[in-house]
Amino acid sequence: MADRRLTCVAGLVLVWGAAIFYNLIKLQIVHHQDYVLKARNRQEHVIEIPSPRGAILDRAGHLLAASLSTQSVTVDPLKLPDIKFNASLLAGQLHLDEAELYDRIQAAYKAHRGFLWVKRDITPREARELDALKLDWIHINTESQRHYPKGTLAAHVLGGVDFEEDGNAGIEKALNQELRGEAGKARLLTDAQHRKIDQQLSNEGRAGAVITLTIDERLQFVAEREIAAAVAEHGAVSGSVVVMNPYDGQILALASYPTYNPNEPPASVNDPGRANHATGVSFEPGSVFKVITLSAALETTSLTPESLINCHGGVLTLFNRTIHDSHGGNGIMPMRDVLAKSSNIGAIEIGLQVGREKMYDYVRRFGFGQKTGIPLPGEDRGRLRRLPIWGATSLASISMGQEVSVTTLQLAQAAAVVANGGLLVKPRIVLRSDGRPALPEPGVRVIQPETAIKMRQMMEGVVLVGTGKGAKLDGYTTGGKTGSAQIYDFAARHYTHTYNGSFMGFAPVTNPAVVVVVTLNGTHGTAGFGGAAAAPVFRAVATEALRILDVPKDLPDAQPETPALVAKADAMDDLAIADLGSSQPNILEDRDDEEPAAQAPAAAPVDAKGSVPNFRGMSLRAVLTVAAARGITVLADGSGTARLQNPPAGAVLHEGERIRVQFAR
Amino acid sequence: MTVGADAEASASNARPKSARVERDPFLLRTLPHEDVFFYCKKIDNSRLVREADPESRRACWSAIGAACLLLGLLTAALAPSAANTLAGYRIEALRAEAHRMADERRMLDLQQAELLSPERLEKLAQKQNLVTPSSAQVVRLDSHSDSAVAMVKK
Repeated sequence: MADRRLTCVAGLVLVWGAAIFYNLIKLQIVHHQDYVLKARNRQEHVIEIPSPRGAILDRAGHLLAASLSTQSVTVDPLKLPDIKFNASLLAGQLHLDEAELYDRIQAAYKAHRGFLWVKRDITPREARELDALKLDWIHINTESQRHYPKGTLAAHVLGGVDFEEDGNAGIEKALNQELRGEAGKARLLTDAQHRKIDQQLSNEGRAGAVITLTIDERLQFVAEREIAAAVAEHGAVSGSVVVMNPYDGQILALASYPTYNPNEPPASVNDPGRANHATGVSFEPGSVFKVITLSAALETTSLTPESLINCHGGVLTLFNRTIHDSHGGNGIMPMRDVLAKSSNIGAIEIGLQVGREKMYDYVRRFGFGQKTGIPLPGEDRGRLRRLPIWGATSLASISMGQEVSVTTLQLAQAAAVVANGGLLVKPRIVLRSDGRPALPEPGVRVIQPETAIKMRQMMEGVVLVGTGKGAKLDGYTTGGKTGSAQIYDFAARHYTHTYNGSFMGFAPVTNPAVVVVVTLNGTHGTAGFGGAAAAPVFRAVATEALRILDVPKDLPDAQPETPALVAKADAMDDLAIADLGSSQPNILEDRDDEEPAAQAPAAAPVDAKGSVPNFRGMSLRAVLTVAAARGITVLADGSGTARLQNPPAGAVLHEGERIRVQFAR
Repeated sequence: MTVGADAEASASNARPKSARVERDPFLLRTLPHEDVFFYCKKIDNSRLVREADPESRRACWSAIGAACLLLGLLTAALAPSAANTLAGYRIEALRAEAHRMADERRMLDLQQAELLSPERLEKLAQKQNLVTPSSAQVVRLDSHSDSAVAMVKK
């Protein structure tokens, strides 16, 4: 009996064990993969690690654009139990207009759309409050949003991004791949309560590159402020300014007006403010192009700045086309005066001596008719017709800046050729990409250094006694050229009385630190000419640029006008000026220090040329004033009254030598 | 308490056989085990002494030792995993904190950039009646001088 019972129990245990064993085999072997998958689905999640879009900085490291993680609310209108009530609930939580939100949700519901943005960029508090509601039809998404903290500053350089944070203009578009980076992926292990336990990177991703621009935000601000004021003052349609380092092509400022705020979506598809007038809109340059004509002449002909040019009394007829000099009748004058007076007839005469082929060659060499290669989308190559299709008067037209269209940036590139001694340097806007410096391309020789120096001197004459007197800088020698081109009406097929007023220049003349080009499009009357409208903008921007760049002055602060110059100035205006031949170059000469020295404090001694003045007993300010007036460098130590100086008073001061002055109270 | 089986047997033997025949009709029938009586029997085991059994004691301590060893090994085997899990919670919390702080830093950078915007600074300067010095007002000292870099003339 007992054995029978034992046998039964043993049998039951065996069956029970067999059942367990069977299930173990089923779990561990037969359905192993299924259960592993189920466990992973429950415990592991593949998450995307966002890589924020790279920031954009100015040359000094000031932030111009950056991305922030923000939260946005979406709903599934098809799952909303009561649209009216829930619209009211959401509007209250998110501070939205209830009726407007109701209409939007209703429209999405009727369109059978299961997704609707309710509000983007919500505050953390709003996110917490919505999360606490625990409603399955409310979704809070984390996304990245681009911010431009300086508003409209450098808007045309920066561009903008779309809702997907893809660049749609400017640097944002040109360097989209670098800025965007790649999102990483990780496997996240969670517990039953979805708390994170561990994560393993399956793809590290790549953070967006930080782009440092060559732009200086202070200079950019000044350029934008001045061009906006000039456009308003002269009733122009648009304007642009480019400030460039002539040696390495770094763009220090690139302003275009009208402008826009990249933080806001475009008002319309054809928003005029979005056009970059500095790089994307070309125009007939007019007289500024004479710089190219004269450079080509100095290079390819026997003409010199002193060569006499027949201006035919201001009227010239070529192939049944009569061309007038807008600045009145000029007879025979030196070539330097042709530039200073901006004589169209003179420029044509010079251009005719250069010839078609060489003129075309030099225009191309200066970079016109081709893109500069700056990494900004939508750059205009300008318009330069191929030589075979030039008309009979094309050479004459191009010599004075017609039948050719250029951008402000191309003019800056051309002016840099003259400023840097004859090399064509490609403009650059990116200084560093993710810490790696963007190296400049080597310059290409366009004109000989001697030619560049001659051109600089002639362009200095334009500012001193020519049409560009409004561009003259205090404390710095300045060279430049004005341009006032009539705008051609293609519909009516004639030139209108609206102008493209422009000025391109550089300073200081002997060793230019900056090139500044200003263009105003659609000005009216003589007040809209380059000398009247654009030159003052050049003056304001260049003054700030030289101050910011800490460029040493090469002229005394208060430069008195010589009687000869005053007499000439009385007889001249921007359109008709006297002869340049006898004018003195605007360079500090030894004798120039006599006039400023006379304005120094009474105690200031007047010493013989080249000798060290006696600073003893003078205040720091008086010493500096005397030193600045005489163009000598003083190393000041201490404060109070000058006690000691080295070299002593009366000693002969050699070129480049400095005077150390010790001050004490 | 013990059951007296002998008492039950003696009680049934003492009952007269005629009683069953002449049973009182009003007498209730006996309950089951009515004739069983229980009583307490005092047992004194104080004089008993457990005999020392070194074999079984050794076996007992061995079992305890083995159990402790097993427990120790189990703990040692599971402790890293548990510590790993706890550290994972901590690391993830710190990672979330670092992410949040990076976001916060970016936001502060943006706020700083907005506050230092040239446009805003110029407006503030205008309120204070500050103007940019003209070129003639700025006297540039030698950059290598030990004294001030520049000064503004009155």
